[in-house]
Amino acid sequence: MQTMTALARSAPAPTGTGDLVRAAQRGDRDAFATLYSGFARMVHGVLLSRVPHAAAEDLVQDVFIAAMEGLESLREPEAFGGWLCTIARNRATDFLRRSPQMTALPDTLTSLAAGPADRSEALAVLAVIRAMPDAYRETLTLRLVEGMTGPEIAVRTGLTEGSVRVNLHRGMKLLRERLERRPA
Amino acid sequence: MSDDYLWDRSGTPDPTVAELEAMLAPLRLPASLRTLPTRVTSPRSKPYAFLMVLMAEAAMVAALVGSAWMHPVAPAGPALEVTRLSGAPRVGSRVLADRGNWTVGRWLQTDASSRAEIDVGGVGRVEIDPLTRLGLVSTTPGSYRMQLDHGTLHALIWAPPGQFSVATPSSTVVDLGCAYSLTADKNGDGLVEVTSGWVGFVWKGRETFVPAGAVVKTHRGLGPGTPHFPDTSNAFRDAIDAIDLGRGSPAAREAGLHLILSEAVARDAVTLWHLLTRVEMNQRTAVFDRLAQFVPPPSAVTREGIGSGDRQMLDRWWDEMGFGSADWWRVWQQQWRER
Repeated sequence: MQTMTALARSAPAPTGTGDLVRAAQRGDRDAFATLYSGFARMVHGVLLSRVPHAAAEDLVQDVFIAAMEGLESLREPEAFGGWLCTIARNRATDFLRRSPQMTALPDTLTSLAAGPADRSEALAVLAVIRAMPDAYRETLTLRLVEGMTGPEIAVRTGLTEGSVRVNLHRGMKLLRERLERRPA
Repeated sequence: MSDDYLWDRSGTPDPTVAELEAMLAPLRLPASLRTLPTRVTSPRSKPYAFLMVLMAEAAMVAALVGSAWMHPVAPAGPALEVTRLSGAPRVGSRVLADRGNWTVGRWLQTDASSRAEIDVGGVGRVEIDPLTRLGLVSTTPGSYRMQLDHGTLHALIWAPPGQFSVATPSSTVVDLGCAYSLTADKNGDGLVEVTSGWVGFVWKGRETFVPAGAVVKTHRGLGPGTPHFPDTSNAFRDAIDAIDLGRGSPAAREAGLHLILSEAVARDAVTLWHLLTRVEMNQRTAVFDRLAQFVPPPSAVTREGIGSGDRQMLDRWWDEMGFGSADWWRVWQQQWRER
């Protein structure tokens, strides 16, 4: 099974991403804000494929703060998307590692600002997606939850379009099977 | 069925994919969190205002050391210790067991049954009530800064004046050596009740000072109102609100001002002092004369000067009221601006 990391390629970054990163590295706050706007959904999706929904929004903030602090060390500005994915995955892993000491909020609890309880079905489906292999759960979350298209996912994450297409196809097939097996 | 719809939403929609999209859409990143405004002009209640504040602070730190903003920035101070008083407070996304660290950049939140206490670096203590969301902006020595998004906190600060401040959507409350309670609702309006010492407010150049026993409302977009004592009459308080908010007709506001002047007693000098610069120019003489009955103005303070809003004269008169010198406040403000 190929993982997302193994599939990573230097796919074309969004027009201007490299320039934006270089500008942000020089201290241009507008450039960083533009990067945030372009990649926030991707970061949220990567996090959501690993941690409870209630935690994902806070962790988005963590990821961008880490990116802001570490941006100077990024040697290939065009690889910003993949680099940001790695930060998000690491942050999610760190969150889960600490959870024995710090009780993670289950998805059945909504945050103070979260929506109504009728999200329970959506959270149940998300739990099924989260239980899938890495390569599928990230891509499916970005596609089905964040509403990104396959080409967008490829551009933002740095994966090739071919890899994303395969992950979506196989992942969706597996998801259908697992949803059908769920008790009514 | 082809995968075209799954790939880029072209072609005939796959019913299962479309159903899952609709079902899962509420879990996506909210639209309000998908952009990051680049200018911080005032505290805001947007959920990610906190990150904006951090960005602004990072920029300020970088500017101070003469390096680029994106250079790694040291955390803005050490973590504060938080103790759970009841329920299940959260630090960031984690439930606080009994005690934990609250780091700069995190929200501390309580639900309807939770309360928590914060040790403010040995300079004071803050308790937060249920249904409160409080952010930690800075804990650098001499500058403990928090941001109250909504809810209620009770602060007891024994540090030298000016070291502890809390921003809300409608004001920045600066501790001047005191104990107080601060409430902010989700609309950005708030209330401060001072139990000892006094606090200062600043909001877009509008200043307010509140002594022990007094209260003041803060209004989104307008900042702090006029301080007053809570046991004044309803009509007195309504008149203050009308003046602060510009509510009602000019004639009605003028009638309200006359009611305030007629009902005022000596302790209401603090209210009258604030009204000196908040009523119409042609009404200031009446306020001057009434305040002078309670606290005679120093010799250098004139009707004309006060009427024109002379800051030095206002400060001198304030100093006569026994709440502490305004000089210190001016020095602190200058330091704040230069930070």
